[in-house]
Amino acid sequence: MSVLLQSWAIQVRVIKALMLRELSTRFGRENIGFLWVMAEPLLFAVLVGILWRSMKGPFEFGVDIIAFVVTGYIPLVLFRSSLSRAMNSFTANGSLMYHRQIKVLDLLLVRFLIELVGHMMAYLFIAVVLGALGNFPWPYDFGFLLLGWAYYSLFSFAVCLVVAPLSEASEVLEKFLPVTAYLMVPFSGAFFVVSSLSPEAAAIVLYSPPVHGMEMMRYGVFGPSIDPQYDYLYPLQFSLPCMVLGLLLCRTIRRRLVIE
Amino acid sequence: MIACQNIRKSYRTGHGRREVLKGISLTVRKGERVALLGRNGAGKSTLIKQIGGVELPDSGKIVRKMTCSWPIGFNGGFQGSLTGFDNARFIARIYGRSYAEMRGFVEDFTELGGALKQPVKTYSSGMRARLAFALSLAIEFDCYLIDEVILVGDQNFQRKCHHELFEKRSDRAMIIASHDMNTILGTCNRGVVISDGFATVHDDLSEAVDAYSRL
Repeated sequence: MSVLLQSWAIQVRVIKALMLRELSTRFGRENIGFLWVMAEPLLFAVLVGILWRSMKGPFEFGVDIIAFVVTGYIPLVLFRSSLSRAMNSFTANGSLMYHRQIKVLDLLLVRFLIELVGHMMAYLFIAVVLGALGNFPWPYDFGFLLLGWAYYSLFSFAVCLVVAPLSEASEVLEKFLPVTAYLMVPFSGAFFVVSSLSPEAAAIVLYSPPVHGMEMMRYGVFGPSIDPQYDYLYPLQFSLPCMVLGLLLCRTIRRRLVIE
Repeated sequence: MIACQNIRKSYRTGHGRREVLKGISLTVRKGERVALLGRNGAGKSTLIKQIGGVELPDSGKIVRKMTCSWPIGFNGGFQGSLTGFDNARFIARIYGRSYAEMRGFVEDFTELGGALKQPVKTYSSGMRARLAFALSLAIEFDCYLIDEVILVGDQNFQRKCHHELFEKRSDRAMIIASHDMNTILGTCNRGVVISDGFATVHDDLSEAVDAYSRL
């Protein structure tokens, strides 16, 4: 038991240290530093929101269009950027493998957590600003909003766990993965509510695990008017086995990793 | 004690694999200083990387019953874009040491002064060697893995290393890869000659040096 506690203490220490290191190498200490992590999702969400607003008018699916785009886009950007951060992260951090207490899993976890915190901050920030302008409602149910985030994040992290070792294993995969991530866009649930689709289309998109998380988040924000469609079990049935596969792959690839 | 049991390691090449270590067994007890001898490319660094846990062997087992440093060499262990101090802070954090003490020791040992506030990628190899030694000495390991770097650095640094490593820490185990027979003869008490992927352990160092010079 004491060995277990000790290992736990080491992992916590390592993750904290890696987190601080990642923040200072990525964002530096000058000007706004860590807050840069919010910049990309904010810019994306705001620009796409304005674009939709000018193309489609003020409402979409009965809710404010900018709020709708923002709630969809920020989690989607989280998925995309955590994936791109995960790719090649083992070789990029080869020098860290010199310290035995650092595991490849720590690297992935730290990179993902930074993205997650950054994107959630961006979400909160933009919700407050839009709320003050009257474009964002007071969330209907915070619990569902957070639950949706949890499902969405779990899915994103599970995919990272698989993608990171695969990107190390094969150059072909490394080139193809960004394209696949792009093809994910229609299946992310960011640009529609499932209840607005035809029953056939809805049945298809509900095979995509992040759609469930997205619907939960939107339900948490906009309430029952969007008629959310989600399942509690299905996303887990995908994400958990995917995580197990990812862990196995990480283990295999770590053994093969060549470090300068 | 650190024991390697039948370590094998191969690397992928354009076609097929090249086996660098073909079954190496080696035991290092507390306080022993083992010299790794072998020609360039014989697998000395590879073996040190396996012992340090930087890379994992294809097969075989490494049992570590004492704390073991990371391989101290020119690269590895540092983040080039971070400053010397930031690297020290990171190392202090992951090994659970106090940064204040670490900083003092690093400043004192490396004598790098203002350069410690510069990114490590701007350092010369001698400066890197100083920093690498300072960081690993500040942590205090039972066994130090030293890959070639001992020769780098000026007289003053070599004297300091000698004092800190071989005099003050004479009770520690060391595994040293080097081509400099003077250093080896002056510091080690056992020798391992690596050639063709196999290791021959000589308990008498001069035998090992003889065997090495015949390669």
